[in-house]
Amino acid sequence: MTTLAAQIPARQRIAAVMRLHVANPWPTVILPWIVLLGVHALTWSIWALISHYAGDTLEPEAFRYAGGVSWLVIYMMVIAIQAMNAGFRFALGLSATRRDYYVGTVAVFGLMALGYGIGLGLLALVERATGGWWLDGSFYAPAYLYDEPFAVVAFHYVALYLLFTSMGSLIGAMFVRWRAYGLYAYFAGLALAVVAFVWWLVGAGGDALVGFLRDNPLAVVMAWTLPVSAVLALLGWLVIRRAPSRG
Amino acid sequence: MTAMIEAQGLSRSFGSVHAVRDVTFAVEEGGVTGLLGRNGAGKTTLMNLVSGQDFASAGTVRVAGEDPVENARVLTRLCFIKESQSYPDAYRGRHVLAIAARFFPHFDAHLATRLVDDFDVPVNRMMKKMSRGQRSAVGAIVGIASGAELTMLDEPYAGLDAVARHVFYDRLLADYARRPRTIVLSTHLIDEAADLLDHVLVIHQGRLEIDAAAEDLRGTAVRLVGRASDVDAFVDGREVLGRESIAGIHSVTVAGVDAQGRERAAAAGLEVAPVSLQQLIVHRTGAPVHEEVA
Repeated sequence: MTTLAAQIPARQRIAAVMRLHVANPWPTVILPWIVLLGVHALTWSIWALISHYAGDTLEPEAFRYAGGVSWLVIYMMVIAIQAMNAGFRFALGLSATRRDYYVGTVAVFGLMALGYGIGLGLLALVERATGGWWLDGSFYAPAYLYDEPFAVVAFHYVALYLLFTSMGSLIGAMFVRWRAYGLYAYFAGLALAVVAFVWWLVGAGGDALVGFLRDNPLAVVMAWTLPVSAVLALLGWLVIRRAPSRG
Repeated sequence: MTAMIEAQGLSRSFGSVHAVRDVTFAVEEGGVTGLLGRNGAGKTTLMNLVSGQDFASAGTVRVAGEDPVENARVLTRLCFIKESQSYPDAYRGRHVLAIAARFFPHFDAHLATRLVDDFDVPVNRMMKKMSRGQRSAVGAIVGIASGAELTMLDEPYAGLDAVARHVFYDRLLADYARRPRTIVLSTHLIDEAADLLDHVLVIHQGRLEIDAAAEDLRGTAVRLVGRASDVDAFVDGREVLGRESIAGIHSVTVAGVDAQGRERAAAAGLEVAPVSLQQLIVHRTGAPVHEEVA
């Protein structure tokens, strides 16, 4: 038998996987922004109510600590879990290899991290230009992001997004490979890691961590999440490369 | 002719369950092969192994001469439509067809559009809101339109009504005539599909029970009816697939009876009736050999 060549080149196969994830862009690209703007509007109206009634007694940093953006990373983690589950089985059902699937999926997450990071960074710029949406509020760059430049705000969100999607990818991969046992293993591992972390924190680690966060700029702290994300993504690949698609 | 699929001692077990055990067969290039067997016989597991979606516990499988697992050279030539295919949550029917076109190099989008009309599939409906039959139809459309050199369809018409099944056979054959390829069809509606099949693989409790040309199978088994003593005398030494008796009259299904044998049976005063593929397979894969009817 003559040696075969793949009938679709690798780059095109990976592009097909990427398209698979956004064939219906609603849950990944459109809905998050709508919800985000909705939460923003709600937060803004609460700010408006408070400042109306508080008047001059309002503290200057009263609206500095909104957490309205944080749900986004959790949502994206769920998207990543679903992508690894239904998306994986669908892609294999269309004769994709696991390797093409994983590369294409990671590429989509990378692009989405950039899109969301830059988008949130730009909204933070608008926030500053408008004097905190005319109420001195901080929605897109709250708390520790308040004084950071655009590049750091955007990078912070990119890194955070990558961290949570790589976590979601690993959870999804473990579910696809080992079903419920995979989830038990994941959360058992997570619980152990948290206990070990707290153990370290109350012992020698507490001062070291505070020192690390105090002495290093935010960009450096966030940069340290990148190797963590990379390791999680690599673990996800090791799990999924031998995952069956039986369901 | 060369082999499109070659399995050698192929096995897959899940703990103590042996879904596929030591199966060896070859499917030649071209033609329609029926993969038949009861529910849970191992048909889907076997197709999962052939398409590289699952991993063999033992043995090997080759598609176009190569291991299909993680092999884009093989997989870009292969389309496997499974009954239980899951779809991303947000997918509508049209998303499935649009994306399938990117994964199968010979995908015929015009044909897919025509098939959507033929099967009357609501392509704007969410996949998760579709009925079982509608989901099956989407799968069947992808399978037919894919034009893949090896097209495997696992229970492609689960939930389809008789009219839609007829449309399926018709369109599959029409496209097969236009774009000849290797088709493997698993089903338990054996008689319906029988005319379509060139070759038959019957799997029973994970083992390959029958591997034969459909033509040979149709001819070989007969049902003989007559007085108990006459029937017993004739079938002595032959492979008996099923036996019924009513008040001294025996009705026996026997394999391996050629034209000469049928003449001899008729001469011996026995009534000779043909056995359909379905009856033959029912006898070979489950019905008790001896059935006493009061």
